[in-house]
Amino acid sequence: MKGLNLLLKKLIRTGAGRKRFFMAFVGLSVAMILILAAVQIQTNYNELLHSKSNQDSIANFLVLNKILNDQNIGATALTDAEINDLKKQPFVETVGLLTPSRFKASIQSASDRFPFFTDIAFESVPGDFIDVTSKDWKWDEASGFVPIIAPNMFLDFYNFQFSFSQNLPQLTQQVVKMIVFKVNVYGTNGITTFNGRVVGFSDRISSLLVPQEFMDWGNTHFSKNQDAKPSRVIIRTKDPGNPALVQYLKQNNLSTDADKTRFSRYRQVVDIVVKISWVTGIIMLIFALLIFTLFIQLTIASCKEEIILLVTLGASPNQLRKFLMRQFFPVNILIMLIALLAIGALQLIIHQKLAAQNISVNMLLSYNTILTAAGVLIVIWLVNRFSIRKYIHTHH
Amino acid sequence: MQDLIVLFHCIFGNSHLFMTIEFDHIIPTPLKERLLQKRSDVWHSPLTLQQGEFIKIKAPSGTGKTTLVHILYKLRYDYEGVIRFNNKAATDLTEDELAELRQQKISIVFQDLRLFPNLTVRENIELKRVLQSPLYETDMIDEMAALLGVTHILEQKTVLCSYGEQQRVAIIRALMQPFEWLIMDEPFSHLDIVNTKKAAALIEEECKKRKAGFMVTDLDNDDNFSYTRQLIL
Repeated sequence: MKGLNLLLKKLIRTGAGRKRFFMAFVGLSVAMILILAAVQIQTNYNELLHSKSNQDSIANFLVLNKILNDQNIGATALTDAEINDLKKQPFVETVGLLTPSRFKASIQSASDRFPFFTDIAFESVPGDFIDVTSKDWKWDEASGFVPIIAPNMFLDFYNFQFSFSQNLPQLTQQVVKMIVFKVNVYGTNGITTFNGRVVGFSDRISSLLVPQEFMDWGNTHFSKNQDAKPSRVIIRTKDPGNPALVQYLKQNNLSTDADKTRFSRYRQVVDIVVKISWVTGIIMLIFALLIFTLFIQLTIASCKEEIILLVTLGASPNQLRKFLMRQFFPVNILIMLIALLAIGALQLIIHQKLAAQNISVNMLLSYNTILTAAGVLIVIWLVNRFSIRKYIHTHH
Repeated sequence: MQDLIVLFHCIFGNSHLFMTIEFDHIIPTPLKERLLQKRSDVWHSPLTLQQGEFIKIKAPSGTGKTTLVHILYKLRYDYEGVIRFNNKAATDLTEDELAELRQQKISIVFQDLRLFPNLTVRENIELKRVLQSPLYETDMIDEMAALLGVTHILEQKTVLCSYGEQQRVAIIRALMQPFEWLIMDEPFSHLDIVNTKKAAALIEEECKKRKAGFMVTDLDNDDNFSYTRQLIL
């Protein structure tokens, strides 16, 4: 076999068109670096996006409401159509309706030792959206006790502002959870009073939450306005930084905590960079493949006589195709290795630069990048095979 | 001769079936009109080349000698009739089967030689030695070259050799591979009598070694070989 290959190499010279070959080599290398860079950047960004620091529970829950302006004062309710449309969006995992209380209510202290009284309104959400687990979080009509979940920021507001100005003691979460107070609900037939207690604190929703059952009961029995629509919804999303989400909110005149969606802006920039890299890479890949194909065609055409005589003498076209494949394909593996090395070096540099800023990305290439390299290699193999088959075939 | 070979096979239990070549009313389409007017043992006749036969085809110029060789070697398709190798129609051969046929069963000396001009003489012969799994070691090239008096040109580029030298190179090349049939198209046209005798002796020896047959075409009568059949084209 070795002897035959040596002779075939003498007969089928791949030396013709070296310049073209060099151009194709450089073109394909750049194309591969661009494509692999696109994949690697995307992977890095995803890694950052889904890293622990960005995976906290608050960020994945967004409370949405319409932006209040002069036109929609008093009409901020979300229609069924709007809610259904929201449910259909790919970036929305689940939607929960925030039900506001439509009855008047107040809370007041149960004892005179620590007197307070305030008018209050509640909200409720489906249980899935609550991040507090408490065995007391339940209510039925027979129960005289109403559990309440308060936002952490309320307690912070009390402890770090209100208590100072009113000369009141600071309260820990544990202390607050022990205070039992009265919950008054005002109906047409007078006041109904329950015992109430804070059973947990939440970062997710910035309102006083009561169990859905209590809310439904209250709204049925005490509300004057039966079919009020919800004005706020809570959605669960995998990625609050998704630009599509931000875009959707903007289009539908909805607002949410802007801080939670801040990643979307970086994300858009990354997306554009990745897209440009992809498109340029793929266009260059196509051109490089075209040049390689032309190079193969040129080589075969310039050795047409030799190939015909070889086949006449008994060389099988398959033998020749395999030989040609061995001549043309290995350089692509070399190119791929060069591209992988370049991206690997770049990744190491990025890793070190970002580590200095306490941002961690993997120092090694992602599997995706390596898989992409392998995938493109397969495409090149197929294209080479196809052009060799085509041209070796036409001669005979 | 044939009986001897059959006997040999029976005794030594060689069950390998040597290839017969069958011409079934072959006639090249472009020459049809002209050839049909002449008497011929080959054209438009049934003709079977039995294993181990030494066949001479005598053909005056213009009777389609080279055409016959090319049809047999599957280089031309513009003919009527059927050629069968061991009862298999030549037209049914796949790409790979044809290559196998040319590597193992049929060797050829072309009238126009068809050597690679830019390879050395040795490389031209070596190519045919290694195209399939080699039958002979490399030293066989030197041995045959010595017999035919072309040792001095072995390392020379083929294009620089005289036609007579090239003719001997083409013969050696054809003998480097395994075959059951050797097809030769005016193989000695540029050789003197002495060299023709040497070449013919080598060819006959190599054919006998392989128990192979040959088919040689020439313009005139000759006694280069002990032919089993002489046919008029």
